[in-house]
Amino acid sequence: MNTPYLAFDRVTKTFGEIEVVAPVFDLDIGRNEFVVFLGPSGCGKTTLMRMIGGLDTPTSGEIRLDGAPVGPPDWRRGMVFQSYSSFPWLTVAQNVEFGMRYRNDLSAEEKLARRDHYLDLVGLYEFSDAYPNRVSGGMRQRVAIARTLASGSDVLLMDEPFGALDAQRRETLQVELRNIQKRDAKTIVFVTHDVEEAVFLADRVVVFSKRPARVVADIDVTDRLGAERHLELRDGVRFFELRNEILRLLRKVGAVDE
Amino acid sequence: MSDLVHAVCGMEHAKDSTQEPVRMKKPAARLFAFRGSLSRRAETALAIGGSAGLLLIWEIATRLGWTNPVFFPAPSTVLEAIGRMIASQHLLWHAGVSTLRVWAAFLLAAAMAIPIGILMSSYRAIGAMLEPVVDFIRYLPVPALVPLSIIWFGVGESTKLYLLWLGTFFQLVLLVADDMRRVPQEYIEIAATLGAKPRQILKDVAFRAMLPNLVDNLRITLGWCWTYLIIAEIVAADSGIGFVIWTARRYMKTPEVMAGVVMIGIIGLLTDQILRAAHRRAFRYQ
Repeated sequence: MNTPYLAFDRVTKTFGEIEVVAPVFDLDIGRNEFVVFLGPSGCGKTTLMRMIGGLDTPTSGEIRLDGAPVGPPDWRRGMVFQSYSSFPWLTVAQNVEFGMRYRNDLSAEEKLARRDHYLDLVGLYEFSDAYPNRVSGGMRQRVAIARTLASGSDVLLMDEPFGALDAQRRETLQVELRNIQKRDAKTIVFVTHDVEEAVFLADRVVVFSKRPARVVADIDVTDRLGAERHLELRDGVRFFELRNEILRLLRKVGAVDE
Repeated sequence: MSDLVHAVCGMEHAKDSTQEPVRMKKPAARLFAFRGSLSRRAETALAIGGSAGLLLIWEIATRLGWTNPVFFPAPSTVLEAIGRMIASQHLLWHAGVSTLRVWAAFLLAAAMAIPIGILMSSYRAIGAMLEPVVDFIRYLPVPALVPLSIIWFGVGESTKLYLLWLGTFFQLVLLVADDMRRVPQEYIEIAATLGAKPRQILKDVAFRAMLPNLVDNLRITLGWCWTYLIIAEIVAADSGIGFVIWTARRYMKTPEVMAGVVMIGIIGLLTDQILRAAHRRAFRYQ
């Protein structure tokens, strides 16, 4: 852990007069780590994530990926949004294929093979030719995840990707995402408001203060719950204790969630 | 009409079987459910029925002598006039000339407005530069510019094209710019994080995302073109439907005036229906 995979060097962000991100520096993220950002709404955690993706640039400071400062967006850092996550004019398969559209280093056969592999992985192979408006919201999020995975990005940035889904679909996708992340060894930064989702998914939960965002707690979830995550874990005492602990923290920093 | 009868019969049948757990509403109540939906066939039947009913009332009113036929001839008289004008006054040729003018000007306006509108909302600098100009000209009524265009272009074909272009281009530019502005930022950012360069984002994502709305706006603007056509053809022309209408008016041939107007309506209705159907087919994913 001499050079962290993702490093934050006194990163700040102001929009006009408003300071959104306070100097953030104590937030090194390791390779293949699943990190969840929690915090009051509008606290700047999304902005921080967008800066990793290159969609916003820090006002001062620097974010380094693998030792090099991050530049404009590229396919190595993929993004999954809550809404408008898949292109409605492309079929499910074409959406996944679009993830590799600008990868000139892959041959056409490779692209097809990867497309089918990831369609299969997220259980959408039989819906290949359907348009997104014909499948459920959960499937649309799966399309987005498969597309980002197919693109080959090492870092997945997810902005409340399951926020619009019902509880059951959410749980299923959470289990799937966790499995995929461990199997394919991806680094994931995930923003959510849902504390249980955060605890279930994360290796690490980072709690931010009200705007301007600064790190108030950095909780090692894997240390407390282990790396193995299955749905029964949610009924356990340790899960509840951790959940309540984080909720107390959020109340203290003034998040009015719940 | 037979569809309506059929629907009503079906409803009657449902009423007979009293064991039906869901109580069927009365046919009229079903037809007039607030924000309800209708079957395709019932809608077609009502569309035809509505127009036919209106024509019938009009016909009866003139037959009964409630209107002066010089000012307000019966639909049958107008229909006769259309037949006569097609046979001996080249009405279809005039209609063709008008349609050609509309499409030529419209395509020219669209070919210019689409790229300019897209650039206006893609690059803030271009938008800031052009918006005030476009907004200013957009509010000028086309008829007010007729004298100027005659001075510039004389009374030939180019004046007509210019007036039509003037009426549509400036409206269309802003509509296109707006369509582009409404493309969700998420689409743009997804493409960027998949490695697309700005030009690729514009071509592969933003343009595709705006396309259904763009085509819809083109269809609506094409309709406006016809408005300006009549103005252009009244001012200076020896051909086209506007010319036919204006000539007929000079001799108080009201049926022929109406025949010209109806002709425009028919062309408009047909074009619109064809374009709508094409839209539905092309953007089935919506």
